Amino acid sequence: MGAFFPLFSPGVLSHLSRLEVEARSRKSRPQQRSRVKELKAKVEALRLQRDRLKAEIETHKSLQKLRVSMDKQSAHEEEEEEEDEEEMDEDSENSQLLRLMARHTQLKDLLHAHHIIGGYNVIKTRQGKGVCVSLATAYDGVFLDTYNLEIDVKPTLRISRHNVPPFIPLNSLVEQSNMQTDIRSFLDTLSQHLNAFAGRKQQLKLVKELHKAVEVMESNVLCSILVMMFTVPGEKTAVLCTLDYTDHTRCLPTRVHFESEDKELPDSPEWKKNCSLLMETPVHKALIIMKKMGNIV
Amino acid sequence: MDDATKRLLQRLVRRIPTQILRTTLDKWGRLTAAQKQSIDFTQPKWALTERLLAVCEENEWTVKHITELEMIYVIDNPNQGMWYAFQLLDPEDDACSVELTQFKEQFKSHLSELVRPVSVKIKKHTDEAVWIRIAWGDSFSRPNHLKPTYVVHHLQTPYVFVTSLTSKQKPLLSQALVLSTRYQAIKDANLSGRKLTAIRDLLMRQYQQVFPTNYPSPLAERNQTVSNPLIEKEQAQPAANRLQMACEAFGDGVLPQLQSAVYKLETKFRDYTNKTMTEREEPFRCHVKFASTNLLESLRHCASSGIASTPVTPLLSSIPLKGRNYFVITDNGPGPSSQTHQP
Repeated sequence: MGAFFPLFSPGVLSHLSRLEVEARSRKSRPQQRSRVKELKAKVEALRLQRDRLKAEIETHKSLQKLRVSMDKQSAHEEEEEEEDEEEMDEDSENSQLLRLMARHTQLKDLLHAHHIIGGYNVIKTRQGKGVCVSLATAYDGVFLDTYNLEIDVKPTLRISRHNVPPFIPLNSLVEQSNMQTDIRSFLDTLSQHLNAFAGRKQQLKLVKELHKAVEVMESNVLCSILVMMFTVPGEKTAVLCTLDYTDHTRCLPTRVHFESEDKELPDSPEWKKNCSLLMETPVHKALIIMKKMGNIV
Repeated sequence: MDDATKRLLQRLVRRIPTQILRTTLDKWGRLTAAQKQSIDFTQPKWALTERLLAVCEENEWTVKHITELEMIYVIDNPNQGMWYAFQLLDPEDDACSVELTQFKEQFKSHLSELVRPVSVKIKKHTDEAVWIRIAWGDSFSRPNHLKPTYVVHHLQTPYVFVTSLTSKQKPLLSQALVLSTRYQAIKDANLSGRKLTAIRDLLMRQYQQVFPTNYPSPLAERNQTVSNPLIEKEQAQPAANRLQMACEAFGDGVLPQLQSAVYKLETKFRDYTNKTMTEREEPFRCHVKFASTNLLESLRHCASSGIASTPVTPLLSSIPLKGRNYFVITDNGPGPSSQTHQP
C-alpha cells in the first residue's frame, strides 16, 4: 500500500544528495582557479609598475645630479667636472638623453622665473603657426596691466591680434626696430614704451588719490602731459604746473614749467628747487616732499 | 527771450526724461537755489516746460546757455541716436603731441573757414574725450541749433565718433578734423551702433581680451551650473576648449553692446543643382544682417555652446578684431581693405 523510506537509507536520495555536493564543489574549484590566475596577473602588473616607478626615480635622481652640475656650470662658468662625465659615459645614448632632459627642465625653470619677474612669456599657438607674447608692466614694485601680441610666424612675422592701446605707436615701432630680423629688440622697445606708459599712468592715479588738494587740470590718454594747480599755503596763491613727458620711454618729465599770478614766484630759489625736484622724482613723491617743505597745501 | 531760445528749450525739455532732467539741471548749475526749489518735478512735462521757460525768461538765458545744457545731457547720456566711427590715417610727425588747446583753436578756425556761420562748442570730458557740438549755418541762415552734430575724439588716438551728420556736412567736418589733428586723411571705419560707449570700447580695446597663455586662466575658475553630471564629465574638456576659443575671439566678461552686423555679399552663386543661378555672369548680391540687443555676447555664446563651430570663423571674429560691423565680401580674396578676407 504506502511506500516507506527510512532516513539515512543508502538508496536513491542519498545518492542524489552526494551528486549534488560533488557538483557544488566542482563549481567552486574552477572559480578558484580563475581567481588565482587573476591575482597572479595582478601581481605581475604591480611588479611591472614598481619596476617602472623605480626606473623613474633613478632617472629623476640622475637628472637632479645633472641639473646641479649644469646649474653650477652656468653660474660659475667652471670647467666640466670630469668625474661626473665619466660615470655618465657608460651608456652614452642614455646620458645624451638625460642631458637633453635636464637642459629641458633647466629652460622650463628659466622661463618660469622670467615669467615671475615680469619678463615676456612666449607660447606657441595654432600648432606652431603662431606665437603669443605677453608683456607684463610694473611700476614701483607693483604689477600693472599685461599686454599681449599674437604673431603669425609664416611666411613673415606679422602681428595678427593685440591689446596694445591705440596711442602706443605699435606700427612705427615694428618698422623702426625691424621686427622681422630682430624681434628681441622690438619687444624690448615695446616693453620700454608700455612700462613707461604704465608708470606715468600709475603716477597720475597716485597724485589723484594721495593729493586731494592738488587739482589736475589736464592730462591725456597717453599720460604725456600733466597740468596741475597748486595752492601756496598762507597767501593762497595759485601756481599752475605743467609737466611735459615728451620722451615716451621714460616715467620722468622732460620739461617742468610754473606759472603764477605772483610773477616772482617761479624764479624764487625755492621753486627753482621744486622744478629740479619734479624733473628727477616721480610726481606723486615730489608732491609729498613739496608739501613737507611747506611749498604747497 | 527770442523764439529760437524758446523753441530750443522746449525741444530739449521734451526730449529729456524727467528724472534725468533734474540731475542735468543740477549739474548745469545755472538755477538759483530758490528757482530749484520752485520747480515741481512731479508735474506733467508740459507744466514743467512752462515753468522752465519762465525761469529762462527770468534769468535771461540765451541760445548759448541752452546749448550748454544740451551738451551736458548728451555727454552724460551718450547711448542714443546712431553713432558712426571714423579713423584718421597717416599721422604727421607731430600728431602724437597735439594737445587740447592747440586742437581746440585749430579745429574752430579750420571749420569756420570752411563753413560760415557755424557754432562750435568744445568740451573736455573727465575720461579724456573731447566733445564737439556743431550747429551748422550757411550763407542764408543762422546756425541751426535744432539739428546739431556731435563729435567725440580722444587725442593721440586715430578714432573719431560722430552722430547726426549729413552727407553735405561730412566733407567739411572731415577736412577740419584732419587738419586740426595733424593726420593726412580720414576714412569710414565701418562701425556703427546706438551706444557710443560700446563702439568706443570696441575700437579702443577697453574690454577684457583673452589671449592664449601657459598659465591658468581665470576662465577655468568659472562655476558652471551642472545639469547632468555624466554629460558634464564627458563634455568638460571640449566645453572648456570651446569657451577658451570663444573668449579668444570675442573677449571675456561684459562685451561692448553692438546691435547689428551687416555682411554684403558679392560672390558667385555656388549651387550646382541650380544651373540658372550659377550660370549668371554677375555676382550674386546678398545682404546678411545679424541683429541682437547684444550681438557680441550672442555670438560668443554661439561659439561656446557649439552652435557655431570653433575655431571661430574669421567672418565673425573680424567684428571685434577689426572693430567693424559692416563688411563687403567678394570672391577675389585679398583686396581693398574694406573686405574681410584680408586679416
